[in-house]
Order: sequence, then C-alpha cells, then structure tokens
Amino acid sequence: MKVSLISIPVRDQEKAAKFYTEKLGFLIKKDAPLGGGNRWLTLVSPEWQDGPELLLEPAPMHFEPSMVFQDALMEAGIPYTQFDVDNVDSEYERLKSLNVEFSVKPTEMGTVKFAVFNDTCGNNIQIVEQL
Amino acid sequence: MTSYEEKLIRLKSKWFSNEHQIASIIKTRLYIDNNLHKNLNLDLLSEMRFTSKFHLHRLFKRYYGLTPKQYLTDRRIKKSKEYLINGMSVTETCYAVGFESLGSFSKLFKDKIGKSPSVFQKEQESRSLIATDS
Repeated sequence: MKVSLISIPVRDQEKAAKFYTEKLGFLIKKDAPLGGGNRWLTLVSPEWQDGPELLLEPAPMHFEPSMVFQDALMEAGIPYTQFDVDNVDSEYERLKSLNVEFSVKPTEMGTVKFAVFNDTCGNNIQIVEQL
Repeated sequence: MTSYEEKLIRLKSKWFSNEHQIASIIKTRLYIDNNLHKNLNLDLLSEMRFTSKFHLHRLFKRYYGLTPKQYLTDRRIKKSKEYLINGMSVTETCYAVGFESLGSFSKLFKDKIGKSPSVFQKEQESRSLIATDS
C-alpha cells in the first residue's frame, strides 16, 4: 500500500480551489465531475508534483457529522492538517499580505516553528518549519 | 486564546522547556544537514556536543522522532534525489551524499523510493521533456 492522497473537507470546492491555488500556491492535478456539482479535485505541491495529492472533499455539504466535526475543530482552533514550509516567518508575512487570517502567529516549540491560519473553507491549517 | 493555544502552552511547559537541550540537538541536526558527504557517525556527533552517544541518540529521537542514523539516511536520500534531478551522475551522487559504495546506495535508494537511482533519473528527465514540450 502507498500513501498517495489525503483529503480535507471544504464547504465550497470552487472557493477552496481558488484559495489553495492562488494564495497557498498548490497546483490542480485532477479535476473530474462527480455529479450534483461535485468534483474529484486534487492538488499537488509545485515542487513535488508526483508527491501525495490533497483532495478537496465536499463532505461537510453532504454528510452532517463531517460538518459538526469540522465546526468543532474550528471553534477549538485545532488545525485539520498541516503543511511543511521552509520558513514559517516569510510564509506568514507572504500570506498576511494576501489577507489570510492567522489564529496563531509564528511560534517555536521544541524543534519546530509553526503558525495557524484560516483557509476560509471551514478549516484551520498549520504550517510547520523544522528547526 | 483558543483551546488549541492553551494546549500548546501546556505541552511546551511540560515537554519542551529545556531550551539549552533543544538548541544543542538542533545544532546536531544542522551539522548533519551541512555535512552529508562526510563519514558521520554517532561517536563523532556526540564528541562534538561533549555528550555521550547514548544521551545524544535518546535526545535526538525524543525531539525529532527519528534516530540520528535514520535522519541521516532520510536526508541523504532526499539530497540524492535533488542531485539526480539536476543531472548529476548516479556515481557522483552516491559519493556526494556520503555513501561509500554504489551498491549500498542503489539498494537503499530502491528500498526507500521504490526504484533504482538510474530509473528515477530517467523518469525525471522524461517528465521534464514532457513539461518543456507542453
């Protein structure tokens, strides 16, 4: 077995695709219609295009427990997932300049530095730099 | 303050409060990163930090989740991918990231990446040609 895909629940796939490509810089890898306005929509990192894909999954719109779980994480400020970056400080400044809202500013803990932002699609996302 | 931030503060005070120890282990990691081509081993790394190799091994595992040897192997394979993508030959890459024999490099690369260094390099070259054409 191989880990080739992780999924993240989003409230609006089109809005999420714009945020994740235009602000975070991911590339769309697959985009196929699934009926009912839903899509199989996956993204990859530009520097690792044959790496794992990130599926923008419209689960909260079709399965209420997914929405309840997502809301609970959001309210507690807990990230749904995290992405590696080379430098948290510069990524924080870059995203702030694009009006991305952070709930946790760059913070060091042990051998990592991290920050947490709102992806505007129902999730907190953590970015992490290894120190 | 969110509940997540409160949890992080508790976690930091309980597990990550020894700043001197953390700074020392980060220096060890950076030394590994900057000296992949050298013959690195636990004896050398521990002598540099004036500590016992058992202590260093335990602390590295505690703070990075990997032993120094596991970390070194991962970094060497990651760096070798960069070199191969940039066109360095398999033999040059092998020695540039600190392996002493082509056989052990190729076997480890295949174990970790699922294909030999030469196959990996050919695939990357094909991808780059396709990207140039499209």
